[in-house]
Amino acid sequence: MKSPAFVTNTAPEVKPAPKEQTEWLESVSRMEPATSVLAIPQQQKQPGKLKQPGAWSVFSSTFLTIFLAEMGDKTQLATLLMSAESQSPWVVFAGASAALIATSLLGVLLGRWLARCLSPKTLEISAATLLLFISVLLLWDVVNI
Amino acid sequence: MEWHLLGLSFITVFLAEIGDKSQLAAIALGGSSKSPLAVFLGAVTALLLASFLGVIAGGEMAAFLPARVLKAIAAIGFALIAVRLLWPQEDLPEDSE
Repeated sequence: MKSPAFVTNTAPEVKPAPKEQTEWLESVSRMEPATSVLAIPQQQKQPGKLKQPGAWSVFSSTFLTIFLAEMGDKTQLATLLMSAESQSPWVVFAGASAALIATSLLGVLLGRWLARCLSPKTLEISAATLLLFISVLLLWDVVNI
Repeated sequence: MEWHLLGLSFITVFLAEIGDKSQLAAIALGGSSKSPLAVFLGAVTALLLASFLGVIAGGEMAAFLPARVLKAIAAIGFALIAVRLLWPQEDLPEDSE
């Protein structure tokens, strides 16, 4: 590929014509020291990919979703009943907490495993379908109480 | 430390939670997110808070009612949960949650 005509080759060694646009910018700035154009390599933007939410927003949206799904759920009910009729409610809380941490861990690990098996598109559709299914179940609960 | 109560609570809540809505949500959100750790921590915080509220409510009930009544309520409550799990298709006439 030929260098652009206006780039005068005053350097003692002839650099081969660069293929990448960034390298071209670098070579131009080297030849004209007054140029303040920095050859910052352009981040290859993936087309059609939205900016991923930060960790805090993921945390809070997960927290809100699962907290609302859990209120009045059979798991919470079971914890309530067990702690009411046992003489040591905090032992019940300890056992319940351990079980909840274990099942959450299993859930997230299963989710990650599925993420590795499925293509990103299939994964997004499956996750959305699953969440819609959950919201239908919740609405069903609301209607039936 | 009542180990059999600890074990019983663990098993009960574990079985109640497997395949439950909140675990399905953890699977869906954890798989589709860039930060599964945030999903895990959010889920655990939510579940522990809900469980804590349940324990507080249960403790309050225990303060008001005699032990036999509490055990009877718990027995009926668990039976209703079991029936609801085993017959999901039937429309139960009254769903006392």
